Amino acid sequence: MKKVGIIIDKYHLNYKVTDFLKYLKSIAEVKLYVEESYFLKSSNQNFDEDLFFVKGKGEIILSLVKLIEEHTSIPVINSFKATCLAINRFLNSTYLRKAEIPVPDFSLNPKGEPPPFKDFIIKNIVDQGVYKFSPILMEENGNTRVADKRALDEVNGKEHQYNFLYYQKFIKSKWEYKIYGIGENVFFYKQLPVLINPNKTESRQKIDEISELKEYCLKAMEVMDIKITSLDFHKTQDGQFFLTDINCTPNFNYIKDGHKIVADYLLEQAKN
Amino acid sequence: MNIGILSKRTTNLAGKIKQFYENKGFNVTIYTLENLSINENLFCNDFYILKSKKLFFLYAGFFLKANKIPVVPDPQVSFMQKNRIQSHFLLEKADLLVPKFYLGKSETLINQLGSKDFPLILKPIMGSGSKGVKVIKSVQELKAEDNEILYLEDFIKGLHYNVYFIGNRVCTLIKPPLSNEHVDMEEVKTPKDIEDLIKKWRLFLAENNLFGHLDIVREESSKDLYIVDPGSFPEFTNWMCSSSPVEEICNLILHRVKKLKNNQNN
Repeated sequence: MKKVGIIIDKYHLNYKVTDFLKYLKSIAEVKLYVEESYFLKSSNQNFDEDLFFVKGKGEIILSLVKLIEEHTSIPVINSFKATCLAINRFLNSTYLRKAEIPVPDFSLNPKGEPPPFKDFIIKNIVDQGVYKFSPILMEENGNTRVADKRALDEVNGKEHQYNFLYYQKFIKSKWEYKIYGIGENVFFYKQLPVLINPNKTESRQKIDEISELKEYCLKAMEVMDIKITSLDFHKTQDGQFFLTDINCTPNFNYIKDGHKIVADYLLEQAKN
Repeated sequence: MNIGILSKRTTNLAGKIKQFYENKGFNVTIYTLENLSINENLFCNDFYILKSKKLFFLYAGFFLKANKIPVVPDPQVSFMQKNRIQSHFLLEKADLLVPKFYLGKSETLINQLGSKDFPLILKPIMGSGSKGVKVIKSVQELKAEDNEILYLEDFIKGLHYNVYFIGNRVCTLIKPPLSNEHVDMEEVKTPKDIEDLIKKWRLFLAENNLFGHLDIVREESSKDLYIVDPGSFPEFTNWMCSSSPVEEICNLILHRVKKLKNNQNN
């Protein structure tokens, strides 16, 4: 039996991987590395897993992934590079645009300095913790302006971290297209945008493959070295898609048999 | 030619660099955290000098580099020297000795570390220099730390050096332990093993390592040299090996930019 190490935080362990773990344990030996109780020693090189699967994005998780990548040849999904880029909205926008994947215009500005576009959404820069999007609508002179509460707290709150805001040009879209990439397989869904209906699963529906989105998805995965992901796209009135978000710890439970698809894919990628 | 300098301050070394280039007829703008907006407006300059490793300057560096505007020093190499975890593995890869580190939630560290593991040095994960660095002598002292995640390093007892390099010139100084770059230091003749170490480090990063510094500790009993802090762009406050490091640094940067632009054109 293959040995699979799961590097995970408590939140994902408690709420997101029950079926996945049950299935994976029936086909592989599984060892858990839980962020909240993990003691990382830089000298540790004793890993005998055939593959690591990462389900979290905290600082200890990232450091453990880096250590495994530096000290062993064991495949890690998703890699250090993939996770670092996926959690950093500014950096992933920069590199995705460089790869000619359409992303909305974006700007990183000191507090008080407006971005060079009128309709925007303010998002936090590094999406590292467990958090539910909490939008604040700020309609101004007919322009759509939205801010995620977390982004404002990180700049203005009691324990503010920095003085910069990440602005993304707001793309008005009837639907939000939710695309999952697992290896070379791409799965297509759409739902009403969270600003229209905060219960994102209520309107979610499976849709036929959209070849343009499939191409963007696979290209984004290649550029960011990301093997398992979900991507959000908005579509303008004239039919142009924009990638608004990329996630390295997608909830694959939304896909029919998602837990099995992911587990089977992981075993295919394990060391021989 | 238009030059942008990404710097915390407009004074000190950044100010001197600006002055040097202006005297040569260049247009120079210093971007501090007050006037830096990271978007296409930055494309007005021909190249950038990444003086500070603060996160937002690094972001600007990544953004500019991705858009084919030369940035010196390289943002990725500077970032790896700013993040303790990354710099540990980078130095290890360069075949240099680094202290072991431990990382975890404070509660986990308190449970896992024994009395024989102390003293340790507590450092911020993102940081360089002596800011936020302190010696932890026992588990009891860890209990007083309210940080969620703590990064601790083995404490290397020995003689502390601050070693600058600009091109192939090395300037070695003895410094008080855990002090910053700006305290009074004693210049010494560079020992052969330090000279070799700097050479190895420079060669490892090749053209991405034009100048910089390493904080090194010579371990008391083994005499081994441990790197405890690398730096990609120090202030060179204590540089005592030529009249002014500014001209040498500025010329190295211009030479590097020329090469980067040539590479882009070919």
